[in-house]
Amino acid sequence: MAAPPLLEVRDLSKRFATRAGRDPSSWVIQGLSFAVSDGEFLTIIGPSGSGKTTLLNMLAQIDTASGGEVRFQSEAAPIDDPKGLNPGLSCKIGYVTQEDNLLPWRTTLQNVLFPLMVQRRLNDETRERAQMLIRAVGLAGFENHYPHELSGGMKKRASLIRTLVYDPPVILMDEPFGALDAQTRAQLQDDLLRLWSLGRKTIIFVTHDIAEAIALGDRTLVLSRPPASIAGEHNNPIPRPRDIAGIMTHPEFAALYQSIRAQVQ
Amino acid sequence: MATWEEAQSGQARARQARLGTSLRARADQALVLVVLLAIWQGLSFAFGTYWVGSPWGVATRFFGGILNGEIPRHASYTLLEAVAGFLIGAIPAAALPFALRRLPIVTAILDPFLVGGYGAPKLALAPLFILWFGIGIESKIALVAITVFFIVYFSALAGIRALDARLVQMAQVMGAQEHDVARHIVFPGAVPYIFTGLRIAMPYSIGGAVIAELISANRGLGYLIQLSAMNFDTTGVFVALAATTCIVFAGNWIVNVVERRLLRWRPPPDFDLQAGS
Amino acid sequence: MTSQEAALDLREASRLRWRQYAVTAGRIGLVALLLGAWKLGADIAGPLYAADPLEVLERIVADTLSGSLLHHIYVTLRLSAIGFAIGCACGVALPFLLRRLPRLTIAVEPYIMASVGVPKYALVPLFILWFGIDDAPKLWLVGLLVFYPVFIAVFAGIRNVDRRLIAMARVVGASEAAISREVIWNSLLPFFLAALKIALPRAVSAAIIGEFLVGNEGLGYMIESSRNNFDTTGVFTGIVVATALVLVINTALVRIDRRLNAWRPTDRHMGL
Repeated sequence: MAAPPLLEVRDLSKRFATRAGRDPSSWVIQGLSFAVSDGEFLTIIGPSGSGKTTLLNMLAQIDTASGGEVRFQSEAAPIDDPKGLNPGLSCKIGYVTQEDNLLPWRTTLQNVLFPLMVQRRLNDETRERAQMLIRAVGLAGFENHYPHELSGGMKKRASLIRTLVYDPPVILMDEPFGALDAQTRAQLQDDLLRLWSLGRKTIIFVTHDIAEAIALGDRTLVLSRPPASIAGEHNNPIPRPRDIAGIMTHPEFAALYQSIRAQVQ
Repeated sequence: MATWEEAQSGQARARQARLGTSLRARADQALVLVVLLAIWQGLSFAFGTYWVGSPWGVATRFFGGILNGEIPRHASYTLLEAVAGFLIGAIPAAALPFALRRLPIVTAILDPFLVGGYGAPKLALAPLFILWFGIGIESKIALVAITVFFIVYFSALAGIRALDARLVQMAQVMGAQEHDVARHIVFPGAVPYIFTGLRIAMPYSIGGAVIAELISANRGLGYLIQLSAMNFDTTGVFVALAATTCIVFAGNWIVNVVERRLLRWRPPPDFDLQAGS
Repeated sequence: MTSQEAALDLREASRLRWRQYAVTAGRIGLVALLLGAWKLGADIAGPLYAADPLEVLERIVADTLSGSLLHHIYVTLRLSAIGFAIGCACGVALPFLLRRLPRLTIAVEPYIMASVGVPKYALVPLFILWFGIDDAPKLWLVGLLVFYPVFIAVFAGIRNVDRRLIAMARVVGASEAAISREVIWNSLLPFFLAALKIALPRAVSAAIIGEFLVGNEGLGYMIESSRNNFDTTGVFTGIVVATALVLVINTALVRIDRRLNAWRPTDRHMGL
């Protein structure tokens, strides 16, 4: 018997209130349902403006939903009342946003240590982990640099390991590699998979790049245009460990790509 | 006020990069200095040192005054007024927006009063403070404090308002509590703004001290200016003015040094946030 | 819209309304509190240190009726206006002049920047010495205090003008004067107006403080001479009127500015 899903989304809906107050604005997300198992790497694809970020914001509990529910470990999260929001669900859900959101007044190392400090978990062991992650993504030597001294790619990496350092069971990622050049992106995808394979966290990775979704994910969901719901679900048969650089030459790639592409309208 | 800051930051740095160290520019500037001194000497010659103290006379009197301790004595008095008033005014002014951060209603209630206080001529209160506190140091400190307060308050308020909500959200997702957010996100983010306020308020603090001394005092550089003027001693006036200006420059220099250290993390003004590297 | 949303919307709207009431009530309350504190302070401190608010009111009325208050206000405003005009004219003219002489500009610039550091008020005794005890020293003071912000704003504004616009104008054959007028002046207009908003109240303040130091007319003189005569009510009266005057000017400027710039997307974050 299959274990209950770690994260479950049922009939999720979201509509933004307009300033006027009473006029109904259009639904961004409506009737969205899916589930994620523990240790799964799920990728979500959707066209621009399909509410991908909105969805992640709701999952991360920084935004309310207009309807439906989100269940984490079979417990419903309170997402209808702004007052009841619990961002990050008590550090169970990590969120790597599109902007790096590094604190400009902290060095790289200080930024990476920030969540540990805030969670009162800062000790030798966690510091060592932070250092290890910094080395793992190639930021060694830049620990004492300020964000404005780092390149875009480096800031992205810092932002990534900042979430990885405190080891949340679920990690949301919002097009983290979107703004980077192809080479850096490939490198970071590689780094991500490597780090993920060490800990097998549950990852929900949003992207607009089909090739990236196939390269990284165990399963790919396709979002429809607004009002967005799940247009399709594609299991990814390509075995791990994966070769990112050569993913496109894999025999299963083309068919998967085509079927996903057909649904992304 | 905003225009002076703008003139200083982006444009000045770009300009400096373009032509600051050009040899010809430096030579021109030196030439202008010589011309200015020549004009000064010429005026002194034409009108007589009674009306315009000569550059040499002023220089000798200035250094003489420093050596015999007269200038340092008066300067330290003025400086004390300026610094004490600055601290008394700036610290509550910076703290208030923080304290009221969670009480927006109180901030809203106070706003018109504070805007009025900011717009009102604080220096016009000088006679009142002299009436209340006498011609001693307290009246000057009070004047400086109230002038500095309003400047720094609005700068600090801008700093609090400039809070990037996304950074706060990010921190909350990572488990930050309210006081973590205040200490690690709100405060550091507001520091550059507070600093701008301090930088603007600094010359006002010295100017306020001097003005109060001009009106009524028995010590200080403003008093020295007034005394020399009343004795028809233009050289003395120039000397005291030079000393005052030196203090302002020193203050500027200190502010710059502190800013460079404190705000090392700031991207330079021409920074393009979108560019990678 | 779900019932949850409707309920939230309703709660939000009524909360906003209550907040408006609370803020206005709070402000009125604060005014009453301050006036009460003033009265109490006056009673405790005695007539030497604090003037009773009602007596201040009486004095204002009496002086207005006798015409002396209006005379003093007129003198101060006239001083401010003339000084403002002079300072403004120089502050606008000089940058345009310097524009034609770039080498001179570079050579002179550090000295101009340095002169900003000289506290202008400290120059008043010197001006009195040089120019006498009439309006002249005060006009110099006001003029200088207006000159600097205007000069800096226009100077920076000219620097900030898009070079491509100037190049374009030259290409279509515009004369230097026409370029100055059309392209440059319009580009720097917002900076200039912002500087005016600062400079005008400053001009009035400067006039008042100048009158502390020299002269026998004007609001500043009224305040200082009251102090010298231990006429605390007079001091309070003068300060109240001076403050009111400057605040009225400030408010008027804000209104005018808003009207003139109604079509612009205002940048509220200009802060100060």
